[in-house]
Amino acid sequence: MAEVVLQGVGKSYGSVVAVRDFNLTIADQEFVVLVGPSGCGKSTTLRMVAGLEEITEGIVAIGGRVVNELPPKDRDIAMVFQNYALYQHMSVRDNLAFGLRNRRVPEAEIDAQIARAVRMLGIEPLLDRRPRQLSGGQQQRVALGRCLVRNPKVFLFDEPLSNLDAQLRSQMRLELKELRKRVPTTSIYVTHDQVEAMTLGDRIVVMKDGLVQQVGSPLDLYRRPANRFVAGFIGSPAMNFIDVRVTAQGDGVTVAAEGLSLGLGGKPGAALRKHAGNTVTMGVRPQHLMLGAGGGNVQRFKATLSTSEQLGDQQLLDARLGGVYLRVAGIDAALKLADGTALDLAVAPENLHFFDAAGGAALG
Amino acid sequence: MTAAALPLARPPRKGFFAALAPGGARVLFALVVVGVAFLFAFPVLWLGLTSLRPASGVYFVHRGTEFTLHNYVEALAQPGMLTAFFNSFAISTLATVLSLGVTVTSGYMLSRFRGPVPSAWFSIIYVLRCVPYISWVLPLFFVTRQLGIFDTYWGLLLPHVAVHICFFSWIMKGFFDGIDPSMEYAALIDGCTRWGAFFRVALPSAVPGLTALAILCWLYTWNEFLFALLLTSHRTPILTVVMAQFVHELGMEWHLMSATAIMALVPALIVTVFGQKYVIRGLRI
Repeated sequence: MAEVVLQGVGKSYGSVVAVRDFNLTIADQEFVVLVGPSGCGKSTTLRMVAGLEEITEGIVAIGGRVVNELPPKDRDIAMVFQNYALYQHMSVRDNLAFGLRNRRVPEAEIDAQIARAVRMLGIEPLLDRRPRQLSGGQQQRVALGRCLVRNPKVFLFDEPLSNLDAQLRSQMRLELKELRKRVPTTSIYVTHDQVEAMTLGDRIVVMKDGLVQQVGSPLDLYRRPANRFVAGFIGSPAMNFIDVRVTAQGDGVTVAAEGLSLGLGGKPGAALRKHAGNTVTMGVRPQHLMLGAGGGNVQRFKATLSTSEQLGDQQLLDARLGGVYLRVAGIDAALKLADGTALDLAVAPENLHFFDAAGGAALG
Repeated sequence: MTAAALPLARPPRKGFFAALAPGGARVLFALVVVGVAFLFAFPVLWLGLTSLRPASGVYFVHRGTEFTLHNYVEALAQPGMLTAFFNSFAISTLATVLSLGVTVTSGYMLSRFRGPVPSAWFSIIYVLRCVPYISWVLPLFFVTRQLGIFDTYWGLLLPHVAVHICFFSWIMKGFFDGIDPSMEYAALIDGCTRWGAFFRVALPSAVPGLTALAILCWLYTWNEFLFALLLTSHRTPILTVVMAQFVHELGMEWHLMSATAIMALVPALIVTVFGQKYVIRGLRI
């Protein structure tokens, strides 16, 4: 049982604050992903849990024990690094055995642990090689193996897949998921890639400028982003944003921008009524914009096709609406559209997100 | 379209090298290489030749046909010569061991740590490197006299070690800069202390650089003259100084000096030949 608790954790280097007031409780066997742009403090947070950075303020506890003052070796954790960090002067076997030998585990048991790990990762033939004789993917498997043999309380991953090419990355992502099922261990995974975050995490922590923006399940973040930053960061292609003016209209509201006027009734409309007379930021995901009439309760507007991108299975459109560009995803790849074509777009009101124009906090 | 009509034919080469007969460029290149190599080897070859000539023939090396090994016997029979060989060897080896012992930790600190201590240390090294080498000699002479270690092993070793530390800490820092620190972080998590991570992970990775530095350090001390001349006397004869003593008020004994020089070259040559691989690899880091 290893619950990881971070309470009011902060880190500053002199006057530069890298992380502030980080609060999170990670349940036993939970897989939590810290995601955010570079410099957001996610790696620093991970390194504080690992004991590689001193904790400026707050408390970090692993398995009910406060570890602030414990050196990394006594925290019972294992970590996978972005550049693998294998011991270059040792064979793969010695790399895997290193941590166990340091803990004076009997050789017979070390052999058994190594055998188990290499079978799981499919790296049996590599045991006698040196790290520099391995490909990036193989090195990453060895790095994972080094964690597995130790049976630690917590796994820490610091952007483990970002040095791999796109194809290998998606394959390793699947393997990580498989591995998780077989070795369920509390894990903290740091990445800047929102796809990794969405696919791997039980819960995701989105960070920016050292501050937690939102904590939630992948679907939570996708469907109910807490602010404009999270909305724009999670989901691919990124959400479209457009500043609209809110006017009260009957029971609901009308939101309008140049070339656009959408009447919103029901729940979304009611929620926006208190912002009548203000300008707010409207967000809509490219996947939620439909081309053509659309059916049911949708709002329609016109835009001009600026350019389209062919992806093979679908097209991405870049449509101009007044002074802003909207991306539209999921368009039939076979559809031939000339640049400059007038597009009839439609969107369901429940798929619209509204954010405070200044602060970016979600409204409603 | 036929192949001949393709507009992609390589244009004929112009210039001096193209005008040479086929293979001419290669011959020319070989000649240049041999020429340059000869330029550097010539003094050593001349030295070797001189060492084999009798005293009367040293000024006519190119003319005489008389050769002898007697110079070597006579040089070795000089008072203090064998001791000088031993002393030079011992001092070079000890200086290498002692200075590398300090340099690895000092280079590691400069590479991995920030703060007042590393910056102060860096500044000291920097300032000492800015001071001309020769200006240290006189103060060192007085210091060693004062400490009572003039003309002893320590009297020569300590100044050498001090100079090496200043010069090589920077190079060692460069070696460690080239080693990924996350390897040490992994070691910390894998159960090592900070020192453990240094000794078991960082240091083994720096071995090629360390070997290169050891060889350079050894050769430098073996060949060093100025400190040896001024900080030692009869009690601790040093090879380079003994060699220089063939120049005296009665003239210059070139034949003996050459023979000694050739003998002094041998250990250095052995070290270089065996260490060449490491020196090149180390300096590439």
